[in-house]
Amino acid sequence: MSFEPKIVAFCCNWCSYAAADLAGTARMQYPHNVRIIRVMCSGMVHPEFVMDALSQGADGVMVLG
Amino acid sequence: MLDTKKVGSVMIVGGGVTGMQAALDLADSGYYVYLVEKTGAIGGAMSQLDKTFPTNDCSM
Amino acid sequence: MTLSEVTKIDGIAGNFSVTVKESPRYVDTTKCIACGACTEKCPKKVDSEYDAATGKRKAIYVKYAQAVPLKYQIDADACIRLQKPGACGFCEKACDAGAINFDDTEKIHTINVGAVVLAPGFEAYDPTEAKVWGYGVYKNVITSLQLERYLSASGPTEGHLIRPSDGKPVNKVAFLQCVGSRDENLCGNGYCSSVCCMYAIKEAVIAKDHVPGLQTSIFYMDMRTHGKDFDQYLERAKEDSGVRFVRCRVNGVETDGVSSDLRLRYVNEHGRQIEEFFDMVVLSVGLQTPRHVLDLAHTADIKLTADNFAATSDFAPVQTSREGIFTCGAIAGPKDIPQSVVEGSAAAAAVADLLAPARYELTSEASFPAEKDITLDEPRIGVFVCHCGSNIAGVVDVKAVEDYAATLPDVVYVERNLFSCSQDTQEMITKRIQEKNLNRIVIAACTPRTHEPLFRETLKAAGLNEYLVEMANIRNHNSWVHSKNPQAATAKAKDLVRMAAAKVTFGASLKPIAVPITQKGLVVGGGVAGMTAALNLAKQGFGVHLVEKSDTLGGNALNLKHTWSGEHVPTQVGKLIDKVISNDRIIIHKEHTVTAVEGFVGNFRSTITGKDGNTKVIEHGAGIVAIGGEAYLPKEYNYENITRVVTSVQFDKLFELKEKHVKKAKRFVFIQCVGSREADHMYCSKVCCTHSVQSAITLKKESPDRNVYVLYRDMRTYAQREVLYRQARKLGVIFINYELHGKPKVTENGHDIDVEVWDHVLHRPLRIKADMVILATAIRPKEDAADLGKLYKVPVDGHGFFQEAHAKLKPVDFSTDGMFVAGLAHYPKPVEESVAQALAASARAATLLSKTQVSLDAIKATVDEDYCDGCALCVDVCPYNAITLVERAAEADRAAGKLITVNKAQCKGCGLCQGTCPKRGVLVSGFTMKQISAQIQAALAV
Repeated sequence: MSFEPKIVAFCCNWCSYAAADLAGTARMQYPHNVRIIRVMCSGMVHPEFVMDALSQGADGVMVLG
Repeated sequence: MLDTKKVGSVMIVGGGVTGMQAALDLADSGYYVYLVEKTGAIGGAMSQLDKTFPTNDCSM
Repeated sequence: MTLSEVTKIDGIAGNFSVTVKESPRYVDTTKCIACGACTEKCPKKVDSEYDAATGKRKAIYVKYAQAVPLKYQIDADACIRLQKPGACGFCEKACDAGAINFDDTEKIHTINVGAVVLAPGFEAYDPTEAKVWGYGVYKNVITSLQLERYLSASGPTEGHLIRPSDGKPVNKVAFLQCVGSRDENLCGNGYCSSVCCMYAIKEAVIAKDHVPGLQTSIFYMDMRTHGKDFDQYLERAKEDSGVRFVRCRVNGVETDGVSSDLRLRYVNEHGRQIEEFFDMVVLSVGLQTPRHVLDLAHTADIKLTADNFAATSDFAPVQTSREGIFTCGAIAGPKDIPQSVVEGSAAAAAVADLLAPARYELTSEASFPAEKDITLDEPRIGVFVCHCGSNIAGVVDVKAVEDYAATLPDVVYVERNLFSCSQDTQEMITKRIQEKNLNRIVIAACTPRTHEPLFRETLKAAGLNEYLVEMANIRNHNSWVHSKNPQAATAKAKDLVRMAAAKVTFGASLKPIAVPITQKGLVVGGGVAGMTAALNLAKQGFGVHLVEKSDTLGGNALNLKHTWSGEHVPTQVGKLIDKVISNDRIIIHKEHTVTAVEGFVGNFRSTITGKDGNTKVIEHGAGIVAIGGEAYLPKEYNYENITRVVTSVQFDKLFELKEKHVKKAKRFVFIQCVGSREADHMYCSKVCCTHSVQSAITLKKESPDRNVYVLYRDMRTYAQREVLYRQARKLGVIFINYELHGKPKVTENGHDIDVEVWDHVLHRPLRIKADMVILATAIRPKEDAADLGKLYKVPVDGHGFFQEAHAKLKPVDFSTDGMFVAGLAHYPKPVEESVAQALAASARAATLLSKTQVSLDAIKATVDEDYCDGCALCVDVCPYNAITLVERAAEADRAAGKLITVNKAQCKGCGLCQGTCPKRGVLVSGFTMKQISAQIQAALAV
């Protein structure tokens, strides 16, 4: 079986989360491996969250804002 | 002579940026607003623009 | 009300009866969920109005992807079924929601309102008829609006700039200005459309971003970039982006006869005839009043100007000739977005003035059952999985998601809905919450950005705190973007539900924050803008404090004689002053300045200090900064040495007093842009071109044998002011263009003043002998603007003018809530724009002052006193200055120290503090560390 990475993405409610919504409206297709967590600002993302995600098995973390 | 009784509602004809702004401000300050738009959706001409000066923001 | 038009307006101000004709949509908006299945099946394609005919749309369509309401409509003229009963009907079969209704009919509504605001906008000039532009003949001649669509990511080419004729890349593009503007011969529109120079520059710059190496040339008569920061943008376009500007009027577009390239012939700056080829020509089309708006004006029975715009007074710029009917936006003259937004708010202020006695008569507040306390209850989660018709269910195995959700910890109830957002499902969810005693809700459907408010209301209706709902976005982030992989989409849907459930488990009941409001306004500055704002607020019923530094009201307008349209300024300002003085609700504080400020939106406390040193404290809910500007005192052009070199304001006085040397003088030279548009003052003072042209006309009219020269850089008689420029030229005023590097020289020579200027056409210096030289001096910001800005925590820009929150959409708001700006303090502008902005500031302030309290979202930072050790790292990062460090008293198990407090009224819930805090001492409600950690854990649990 090929490698299926697990990626956690922190998305700002006002920009990248909205962009992900629009990607849906436009029916753009992208890999299903990403799990989006909505935050009110990318500045809210505590370094601990990134560490948590990586230590719990995430292969990548994105902070988008 | 008595003043005619005033009605606490407003009709705004046109749902572009200017009409929407008027509608929002009036609704936010206690008036009932009817927003009348000729086409199927509000947004007006600004929604057609790609980006706007000065920040080249997307105009959505 | 969409697809609707006003057909009749009866009655009088305060009580109109308006007839509205609503055309059939053929789609039931209560059922349509905007899934798009109908459009996909529709076989009929027509030109898209939205894409300015650069792309196609179907006969059943939504105007654009982000349209509001996001509901489809059928174009009856294009629809096969509506044209031929029994035919087609594919959309009806495709619609899961059963929203298509071919039998829909026109409806007539009669609506009783107190006022009417006309905001119907403009149409772009159609260059087809003029023929000379080759529009409609040569495919590579397009309008600026079409280019806008080509450049847009949502446009027909997804932002790729290609030639319409052959799809080849574009390398060289020409913009032709004033197509449909400033041209009485071809189109009959003598006025200037005001916005085209700026949008052409913007399009040229953006097109260059899209196509590296693209050559762009703008052919223009005058560059009219008179708005705030516009000149800087122009300079950047020239210097950084390499947009080429050519001053000349091109008279037509021809084909090269071989390829699809286009030939332009023009006379360049050196007087030489040039022939140049381009592979695309963009026509910068002007704005005009469309036929249907002229009909509307007729229906509304309002007067129009010669240019076919609504006639208004400069001191009441949104009031039409019929009482109770107001205008805003391009119907009252061509204007840009910020000015249109300003007028929208201004119209609101004018309406509120008229209808103040009826405020809150027709609005109502929804009522909800008492909220249940769930703090001590174990979580009982209910999960509702939405099919969204086939939008989710067509990809995701929703049954599997339902079954999976039931296995999650604390989940006690699961259900599937065809449309979770529909009215009947809402009622059903409310019932389930009560009957199953649910205290946490997960909605697996679409995006919280559009639907969370709806579901919050549902919870409230069920007596549950509105913050105990979490949405799993299994449509926008899943079924729509993984439609080719149903298996993966189903697995992801399960994950998203698990994450939402994990987060909501740690959710808590949050109380919206209510901040009481002092229902009084403070206006700083007693000029036209300040007085207009104060008077409007007072007439809306609010108490106002008007603070003026000097001992007189009136400000800069006291120096003006006439507005551009010829209204007598002293009369109007006199009337305004009288109204302000006689209004009981306005308290005037002359010879006072603001010296200290504390508080925040709804609750400001400003200290004002008088000339005598006495202070007063004023409590107010909102503040308007209208401190005006001041005239630049020139050092250049020998102003200080030659007495007959004067500023325009001085000249107006001398002229009015019929000074002998003005009376006798035969030769006048006006010099424009004195202190504007150069070096550190790269902005246009906006009013000086019009002012000088008006003075020139007066001089010529009084004595036609006078020689009047205007030395200018770009003649900026924008919008309907163009008529003055035309009139001046007809009267024989001589306009000579000069460039920044060849400024005129002014020297005294016996009885004469010598003015030397480089003539671009003759290519030699020109010497004019003058009796008087009038300098059109710049408008500068007030020197103390920055100090006042610091007190209210509102910024000034690089030039010293106050900086609004958003150049386009929040033109009178400051980024600090509760503070607004109007008049010259914001940027140089003529009287009618100051008045409009003042009314707008008043309307924006009234949205606050009309309430006894503001309710704020409960997503705010909260201090955990057990963990906060007062390190203060968060204080500096907070962008809203909402956090302060305070002393903490000693407790049983803890010595005295420091602690932070959060001002909830200033906090926006961004959580920068939470992201910075090393101790978990500050958390954002609804997005706590625990909630997000639970989400992360759940995301990676399988």
